[in-house]
Amino acid sequence: MSEFTRQGLEPLSTIGNDTPRIDAIERVTGQAKYTRDWKLPGMLFGKVLRSPHPHARLVSIDTSQAEALPGVQAVITYENAQVVWGAGSVNGGRQYNDPTKAATIHRRYIFNNPVRFVGDSIAAVAATDRHTAEEAVSLIKVEYEELPFVLEPEEALQADAPKVYPEGNLCPDFRGEFAPMVSDIGDVEAGFSDADHIFEERYDTGFIHNAQMEPRCSLAHWQGDKLVLYTPSQGISNCRHDTARDLGLEDHQVQVIAQYMGGGFGNKNQNQDADLIAATLSRRAGVPVMLEYSRREDWLGVHGRWPTVQHYKIGVKDDGEVTAMQMVGYSGMGPYRKNSGGISGMDAYGCPNRYREISPVYTNRTTSGNFRAPSEPHGFFGIENMMDDVAYKLGIDPVEFTLKNMRRPTEERPFTNYSLDEVISDGVERFNWQARRKVVPGSDDGPIKRGAGFSFMMFRAGVGTSSAIVRVNSDQEYTLYVGVTDIGPGAKTTMGMIAAEALGTPLSNVEVVWGDTDRCPYSVGESGSRTTIMTGLAVVEAAEELKRQIADKGMPSGNDVLIGSATPTPTTDGKTRQCFGAHFVEVEVDTRVGSTKILKYTAVHESGRIINPTTARDQIRGATIQGIGQAIHEDLLYDPRSGQPLTPGYYRARHLTHKDIPDIDVHFIEVDDGYGPFGAKTAGESGIILAPAAIGNAVANAIGRRMKSMPITRDKILGAMA
Amino acid sequence: MKTLTNVNVTSFGEAASASRTARQQGSVPAFSGGGSDLLQQLKDGTDNADVIVNLRSVADGRTIQSDGSGFAIGGLVTLTELAEDPSVMTGMSAIAQAAASVGTPQIRNVGTLAGNVTQRPWCWYYRNGFNCFKAGGDECFSLNGENGQHAIFGGGPSFIVHPSDVAPALVAFDAIFQVTGPTGSREVSAEEFFVLPATDPSRENSLNEDELLTGVRIPSVSANTVSTYYKVMDREAWTHAEVGVATVIQRDGNAAQNAKVVLAGVAPIPWRVRAVEDFLAGKQINAAVAREAGEIGIEDALPLSKNAHKLPMTSAAIEAAVLSLAAG
Repeated sequence: MSEFTRQGLEPLSTIGNDTPRIDAIERVTGQAKYTRDWKLPGMLFGKVLRSPHPHARLVSIDTSQAEALPGVQAVITYENAQVVWGAGSVNGGRQYNDPTKAATIHRRYIFNNPVRFVGDSIAAVAATDRHTAEEAVSLIKVEYEELPFVLEPEEALQADAPKVYPEGNLCPDFRGEFAPMVSDIGDVEAGFSDADHIFEERYDTGFIHNAQMEPRCSLAHWQGDKLVLYTPSQGISNCRHDTARDLGLEDHQVQVIAQYMGGGFGNKNQNQDADLIAATLSRRAGVPVMLEYSRREDWLGVHGRWPTVQHYKIGVKDDGEVTAMQMVGYSGMGPYRKNSGGISGMDAYGCPNRYREISPVYTNRTTSGNFRAPSEPHGFFGIENMMDDVAYKLGIDPVEFTLKNMRRPTEERPFTNYSLDEVISDGVERFNWQARRKVVPGSDDGPIKRGAGFSFMMFRAGVGTSSAIVRVNSDQEYTLYVGVTDIGPGAKTTMGMIAAEALGTPLSNVEVVWGDTDRCPYSVGESGSRTTIMTGLAVVEAAEELKRQIADKGMPSGNDVLIGSATPTPTTDGKTRQCFGAHFVEVEVDTRVGSTKILKYTAVHESGRIINPTTARDQIRGATIQGIGQAIHEDLLYDPRSGQPLTPGYYRARHLTHKDIPDIDVHFIEVDDGYGPFGAKTAGESGIILAPAAIGNAVANAIGRRMKSMPITRDKILGAMA
Repeated sequence: MKTLTNVNVTSFGEAASASRTARQQGSVPAFSGGGSDLLQQLKDGTDNADVIVNLRSVADGRTIQSDGSGFAIGGLVTLTELAEDPSVMTGMSAIAQAAASVGTPQIRNVGTLAGNVTQRPWCWYYRNGFNCFKAGGDECFSLNGENGQHAIFGGGPSFIVHPSDVAPALVAFDAIFQVTGPTGSREVSAEEFFVLPATDPSRENSLNEDELLTGVRIPSVSANTVSTYYKVMDREAWTHAEVGVATVIQRDGNAAQNAKVVLAGVAPIPWRVRAVEDFLAGKQINAAVAREAGEIGIEDALPLSKNAHKLPMTSAAIEAAVLSLAAG
């Protein structure tokens, strides 16, 4: 079930109504053209040769047999195609920053020597069909000098650990300095001195692949000096800019087309090496090249959520007031720094004395990068289990403990609005928290034990710059041009609804043009939960501009059109803007076989005004489902002796099947804080942030043992019960 | 992808001959019933067959026949058919339940009895292309590696677990395995059919080159026989057994006679726990007896470094399986 509680909001005409996706018919009837569906005359098929070793120097490469194979039209290798993939490794993991990319110390190329993980790319071929390309790749002879490798982040920082780079395994920060990321607020030692109790614990979390259905693919087509790139990118504007920079082109020389795509979850931000490899092959061959990764290549060759180790130390008074918080963490980044390696969560608390030190560490595992709320779910799992554990040890209801200690607006740091208290209290009531939780964890008699857990979160909902164009013709039909694509949340529909509302016309009267950088203006892209609030604001402003013109000149007649456009730079007037959420879970753990079954799941969110209830609800559900999978199933195991990955793919990683997915009740408290389009905030990532934490707490409440390693698999539960 | 040659055959004998002919010509043949797993192995490179002997054109081996006492089940009967056959569901529910628990509906719709029983191990080392015993090498990488899913009984020198759910249920019903080769057919008992790694670590059964499993025969099922297959899975579908327990008893009142208890997912072959079978003889089935059966069931277990959780799991599964057969 789901429910929307609209606090003081006037109902609107289009916004707030359950609305089917505007491209639903095309998608379900097979008319939608995904990247892999395009066929261009003379198109070749690419295939990448990848490293079978976790760490090796390439002594020599011989492509003569591959080149001699009939049908092969281009072979490129680390020797003859040295293209820097700027977004593939960035100092500090700063993805959207050109100067940082330019100054990056450990650059990643489309092909690398040495190769630094199983799946690192070495060479690629283009041939007349896929099978020939595969055969050609198998004919490339590479001489490897195997090097020592390291898999675990803490181990990688030991003095005698194999070095992924000559400087060592601690990743450089955005300044290029080899130092951990440190946040030191207040006086943490004084805070520990004030404490009546100090608790310390180690948590760890696993590698989670984004597991989007559509693997990485790219179709490159050169038209003279212009590159047309069909690619499932979560941000066509940034993909264009990054691709142009990496290939030494101007932005206008690259056209990125992403009309339909099969999910991303952070796996398809910016440009990817497949884009650059396809473009390089195509330029050599002189014809279009389609490159599609296999599932295994996609799993190992792209990226997933970074595994972490988190050491916590919490100081607390008898009455439950937290006086100091400390976390020393390690994030396994693989051999390239694609993202920060952040471990968030402590910042959701108001404690004035907080010390956080995170070491992002190079390893010879698959690369880590963006995954829906990149820094949050694993961090919230750690800190929320830690705090839940402290609360129970002090005999305090964790909800009360949270209400006492969670971050609140201050005079120095005001919020645009703050609804955590309402979100939590609404969840407490709907879920019947007091009846479901065990005051004494693990107190159910018998082997089948029930318990309840809770977690809360706040997540950025800032506003920023994008562009939009709206046109009206003499038939009073509107066309909206926005550089969005749809990775699942329904951005095309959302943009159309916002335009329709702002223009005072039905959605059916607004045609949306999307997914093509030659036809659409700049948009921030479908990452960071930003499209609705950033591009949405541009749509509102463009519509307002058009309305002013209509008021001024009247509706166009004949062949005339009127065009409104906007590139706003909105602010929140120095206030912090956040979305809020609380999740409550009841689980049943069978301690004989270690299984965890979810009996009830209640998610309460405040994401401002909801534009499309249908897709907003599904975003929370989908994110929660991913969070459940992360909590109790998914991981990427490596063989410690060979450095080979053992569990890539849907079968091995144990994703939830439909039969595993529980009912998830989603409730929204809707408010308008005066910022964002019609008061909308973020929703896409928020649901995953707190799901693993809430499940971990529920399992602990059921069995009376704290599970400190995620995923909480059956062997770990049985180990804890033994 | 390499070129594959497809050979359609119309009988099991012809299939065996086609396999032999291909082998004599220097090819690597493989029998394909449903072909779902074979296709993946070919793609992954863990099976290097280049001649596919297609059994879909074979008319035999597709029926489940009962003579009132015993059963004959064709090797090409699909898992869906096995799971939904009324006579199997009533007379040998452990077999029906085991078949119904395999994989996904899509796999069960094409997967066959013979293919399920003779499928290669799902060990992540073998399936990821390690040159282990099962791939013709001379090492089991799980021993000093990730062995959370590996054998607690009967292991060494290979520690794979037998992946079939149906096989333990067949063993529990004293199935006779029918084998056809280029020179004729033979029948073998379960003891002869499944091969421990101590005997030959490269294979899981005694099928010789060019031989295939064509069906099974269940000699007799008495009217007072009750059975169950209890499977512990780490998710609700598309996964192999962490442990499975096929239990068959002849129930006299509430007393167990001639108990058979055979485990899946914990040993390199379907694993009979004779100590539990002996313990159950003549016992009234109740919670205490079932619990003790579970405890006895793991007395001989030898866990590796990371699979000790399979002991309590196996105990619990045996207990649940036995208790579910109590009268009333």
